[in-house]
Amino acid sequence: MDNNEIWVYVETTGSKIEPTSLQLITKAKAIADGRKVVAVVPETSSINAETTVKEYGPDQIKTLVDDHFAHATDEEIADALFQVTDKNRPDSLLFPATILGRSIAPRLQAKLGTGLTGDCLDIYYQDGLLVQVKPTYGDNVMCDIVCPDRRPQMVTVRPNTFRAEKGTGGATEIVQSKFTFHKEANSEVVATDPIINSSSKLDDAKVVIALGRGAYSDKNIKLAQDLAAKLGGMVGVSRPLTDEPEFSHDDQIGIGGASLSADLLINLGISGAVQYTVGIKNAKKIVSVNIDKDAPIFDESDFAYVGDVTDFLNALLKQVR
Amino acid sequence: MKIVVGIKQVPETDSVKIDPKTNNLERSGIQGIINPFDKNAIEAALQLRDQAGGEVVLLSMGPDSYTSSLRDGMAMGADKAVLVSSRAFGGADTLATGYTLAKAVESIGDVDLVLFGRQSVDADTGQVGPIVAEFLSVPQVTFAETVSLESENTIIAKRQLDSAVQDIKLTLPAVITVRKELNNPRYETPVNMKESFEKPITVWTEADLNLDPSQIGQAGSPTSVTNVYAPTKEVKKTTILPEDPVQAVSELLGKLD
Ligand SMILES: Cc1cc2nc3c(=O)[nH]c(=O)nc-3n(C[C@H](O)[C@H](O)[C@H](O)COP(=O)(O)OP(=O)(O)OC[C@H]3O[C@@H](n4cnc5c(N)ncnc54)[C@H](O)[C@@H]3O)c2cc1C
Ligand SMILES: Nc1ncnc2c1ncn2[C@@H]1O[C@H](COP(=O)(O)O)[C@@H](O)[C@H]1O
Repeated sequence: MDNNEIWVYVETTGSKIEPTSLQLITKAKAIADGRKVVAVVPETSSINAETTVKEYGPDQIKTLVDDHFAHATDEEIADALFQVTDKNRPDSLLFPATILGRSIAPRLQAKLGTGLTGDCLDIYYQDGLLVQVKPTYGDNVMCDIVCPDRRPQMVTVRPNTFRAEKGTGGATEIVQSKFTFHKEANSEVVATDPIINSSSKLDDAKVVIALGRGAYSDKNIKLAQDLAAKLGGMVGVSRPLTDEPEFSHDDQIGIGGASLSADLLINLGISGAVQYTVGIKNAKKIVSVNIDKDAPIFDESDFAYVGDVTDFLNALLKQVR
Repeated sequence: MKIVVGIKQVPETDSVKIDPKTNNLERSGIQGIINPFDKNAIEAALQLRDQAGGEVVLLSMGPDSYTSSLRDGMAMGADKAVLVSSRAFGGADTLATGYTLAKAVESIGDVDLVLFGRQSVDADTGQVGPIVAEFLSVPQVTFAETVSLESENTIIAKRQLDSAVQDIKLTLPAVITVRKELNNPRYETPVNMKESFEKPITVWTEADLNLDPSQIGQAGSPTSVTNVYAPTKEVKKTTILPEDPVQAVSELLGKLD
């Protein structure tokens, strides 16, 4: 049996609610056109994520409560979701394209025998079908994908593609779903180490100073760090610099790294390859510095300085308070 | 230990472009290579084999031309290869691909571990690994950044989530998809390259696998691509700052707030 609902998977790790899930609730409401928006929240008894999720105004919240979710494996989460989605299949089911979302969604897809489009950059309804817009070939090519006959129409959506907005009006109904947590005998999460500082992740930083191959020098790194400290921001890099000893994959911006939502981004010595620029399209003000006046990065920028990175950083550090 | 590694042949993505006039994918003359992440999976398999003994079998679903990647993988040191190839598999999306590969793993038989790359660089989905795991009803670790043998039939793999690092213990058989950070794939050696031509590549069609014809190829694929096009770029209005850095910065700071 199918229903006319859009379900959003709300990812919780520890007590943190994945922001992408909240972004998806806002998006689902915007495209719903009469469909009911339902947030599906697997959680432990101590989290009560529904209090926060409610602020974003879904029509209904379905909680799946079990303390095993604190250390659940992909198999266990997919099994729990299957129990609540199989009999009364939603029209569409949206996941964040986080590591967890990208791991659970395809297992659930195989259980449900339906279609899934990964890492979407847009979704909308056309003629009753969910059009799933997905980049391929390292973001050089876009595809529209549909799933005409089977339900739910499943997608994972890249973090920070949409903005979360707290909802107005409309009451949210909260329902506790019936399901049984089945422990998987052959896999077990034996340790979970929180990543310290995850609150200051690049994705969420308000100010980002980004260094590229053209800015790689001890001096520029020092200047960029000083500037980031002064502005209360973070330093990020383009991919080539993740091979250097000072940086790692965690610092990478772009398709294989962070998607920024910064209010101010300063690009230093970055050419502007598409794999980089997809990660910056939601930054609000973009300033770029490059010695090449034709560098593609300038097409994405609000302010362009054609010149040397070190000169610009020195001048900026002097004038910023 | 019998380890299967799923590999896909992909075009070198840097050179794939959309023709802005016809909206066709320009991929003629582009050479196929092993999906880069799959080399990390092969390397991981070779290391586990060197530690525990056994064999490494490469598995790919695709056209005949995929044999060149299978040879390359054997030149890295894999023992043999299976190519699942037939027109009946054409038009497969991730679900049909995952189903077919799972059936091939069953036909290979007695497999302890199936390894995949984290994603293919042409499709960028990363779905095939978990789908195969589900069809085989075995546990998984995705995006693994370390993989270590804990006992004869258990593996501990580490994966990094957004706010935590997990150590996951798997009892074999299992599926693992690997990140680039896991290892540095070894190079093909001249001796291995020569030997790779003596190693067998078995080709299977739908007739060789015990499968449900409605679950393969186009028929088994719930999704279809309706449109392929170049990403549209929003052209911003860009203010060019003056050449003198001091002036440039003061103009910038004036306009920023
Ligand atoms: C599948 C795939 C995924 C990828 N994922 C990512 C990703 O997630 N993130 C990413 O960043 N890249 C990614 N890439 C790589 C991407 O294609 C580019 O190669 C990379 O972004 C280039 O980095 P860059 O701009 O720092 O270096 P370059 O392209 O080398 O540019 C350096 C720039 O610095 C300028 N410059 C040099 N000296 C100075 C100076 N003194 N002052 C000012 N300017 C100077 C130059 O004019 C040039 O424009 C990916 C590629 C592929 C194929
Ligand atoms: N046709 C195929 N044959 C064998 N393995 C594949 C195939 N397609 C994908 N894979 C494997 O699945 C992984 C993820 O691919 P994808 O889901 O397409 O991003 C790849 O890194 C490969 O290891």
